[in-house]
Amino acid sequence: MTENRLSSYVPYMVILLLLAAIPLITQEPYVFHILCLIGINIVFACSLNAILNIGELNLAQAAFMGIGAYASTLLVTRLGLNFWLAMPAAALVATVFSLLIGLLTLRFRDAYFLLFTFLFAELVRILLSNFWIGLFGGIPGLTNIPKPRIDLGGSLVVTFDSKIAFYYLILLLTVFTVVVLRRIDGSRIGMIFKAISLSESLAESIGISTMKFKILGCAVGCFFAGVAGSMYAHFVGIITPSDFSIHAVLAPIAYVVVGGMGSVFGPVLGTAFLMVLSHFFLRQFGFYELLIYGIIIVLIIRFMPEGLISVPRVISDWWDSNGWKTGKVKGHESAGS
Amino acid sequence: MEWTLLAQGGLNGVMLGLNYALIALGLTLIFGIMGIVNFAHGEMYMLGGYVAYYLFGLFGLNFFATLAAAAVIIGALGVLLETFIFRPLTIRPKIELTSLIAAVGLAWVFQMLAVIMFGELDRKVPSAFSGIINMSGVVITVERLAAILIGILMVVILNLFLLRTKTGRAIRAVAQDKEAAALQGVDVSRISALSFGIGCGLAAAAGALVAPIFVINPSLGNEVILKAFLVVILGGMGSVPGAMLGGLVLGFIESFGCLFFTVPTVMVLTFILIIVILIVRPEGLLGHD
Repeated sequence: MTENRLSSYVPYMVILLLLAAIPLITQEPYVFHILCLIGINIVFACSLNAILNIGELNLAQAAFMGIGAYASTLLVTRLGLNFWLAMPAAALVATVFSLLIGLLTLRFRDAYFLLFTFLFAELVRILLSNFWIGLFGGIPGLTNIPKPRIDLGGSLVVTFDSKIAFYYLILLLTVFTVVVLRRIDGSRIGMIFKAISLSESLAESIGISTMKFKILGCAVGCFFAGVAGSMYAHFVGIITPSDFSIHAVLAPIAYVVVGGMGSVFGPVLGTAFLMVLSHFFLRQFGFYELLIYGIIIVLIIRFMPEGLISVPRVISDWWDSNGWKTGKVKGHESAGS
Repeated sequence: MEWTLLAQGGLNGVMLGLNYALIALGLTLIFGIMGIVNFAHGEMYMLGGYVAYYLFGLFGLNFFATLAAAAVIIGALGVLLETFIFRPLTIRPKIELTSLIAAVGLAWVFQMLAVIMFGELDRKVPSAFSGIINMSGVVITVERLAAILIGILMVVILNLFLLRTKTGRAIRAVAQDKEAAALQGVDVSRISALSFGIGCGLAAAAGALVAPIFVINPSLGNEVILKAFLVVILGGMGSVPGAMLGGLVLGFIESFGCLFFTVPTVMVLTFILIIVILIVRPEGLLGHD
């Protein structure tokens, strides 16, 4: 049993080692810049997916990322906190906001959560752009956000100035996010989330307090949106209100849908796939790139609702029902393929 | 405060409010029938504006014919969307979520198509009516007055259609209970497609109606869907009278609010009102639960 479980980790370990070994192949800063953005977007897409798991779409997910980014930046620049404390604190700030919204809207069915989060996203953008400009910096936002650093005492200081150093930090946080969400997904709570997303009435009828669990699911998702925001702020160094507007949530929706809603690895796959495609191949298409994203979302939802992650299963199902039969009839002919 | 200023604000409020009501009516109709939040609804309004730009502005078609054409063309687009994209989703689980994501994708597609086809810049549609009416200090352009009157006419026609015709009754029956309606011989999928078309057509007609007053651009839909969401929460999700009242309330808030405060402050105040409504009267002003 234990041996079996250990061996199931091997593929993940291999992938991790390969990712950690990328600096041996290339040290091009642009590549690591993109890889870092992919990592941040994976955390963000996973956070979006965590809320999709309770059957809701949070259109303010980017606003929660923004809350995390601004909170983390202000904690570091105004209160002099270091990044390692500011990041979890910022994620908690985002969580507190999500709890308030959850309490207000998740009591109702009828898409109130969706409508309200859309308004909330706009409100956050307006507040950050027009109010308390001394603190939030208005429309130009906040600049010169310091990079994380570790003081080892004396003159020993590790700073994450280089893209490669930051790459390892983001890799670590991305793995942390995926592992935590995977643990939740496999737990009893994860099963309750799935039950709620399939049928709220049915879940209620077997004694699940759906509102409580929906608020919990929403809080988990927004916590990681805050983590993504904090990473983004300290990685890019500049944040503006428009970075976290309603538009910022559209591409991540495509990542999640393309990879596969509901599973933990779906959003990881989708983000990596679409972002690599986008940054290395589609850049020159301009508006057509965004158009393609929109079309992909519609087509995937319409024809392959479980996303790319379901492709191996669909193929093996098809093979079981068709391929095996053909194999029997045609004998060695199909065995070759 | 002079009374002329208040009257002026009131007239602008009615115009804005009717426009919001027309958009929200379609949104709430589609939600009531199919449980789908049509996130692409603002894009239907935007496309209606472009129909007016081309048919009325460039080809010089009669303004009323343009309004009808916008409603028919975009309504037909709505029927196609319902038939080929949304209806197949209804037989699968998590319809609310999947249809919503499809609608978000569609909104994006239409917006980008509009950028590619019409360009990003603001377009101005020429005025359909000229002249100014001055009622002892309260000034209104004939154009805005016409938008108010035509808006009222459209709301009245929709209500007569829903309340007095057989098809209207079928739509209300499906909104109340799909299975019961089907048992009475109502063709639910035909009614769904029709309602989707009517909703989209209404939004397009509203967009075409005010296109000469404001400017149009491809991102118009974002602003419009935000207003429609506000109206729907104000008035109650799925409630037709609620959408009309909510639209007027929002129109007045914006019109009078802007006399006293800046635009961002008005937005924040509207938002606070929404929170209060969600706490005190979550079913909306006229919603029923």
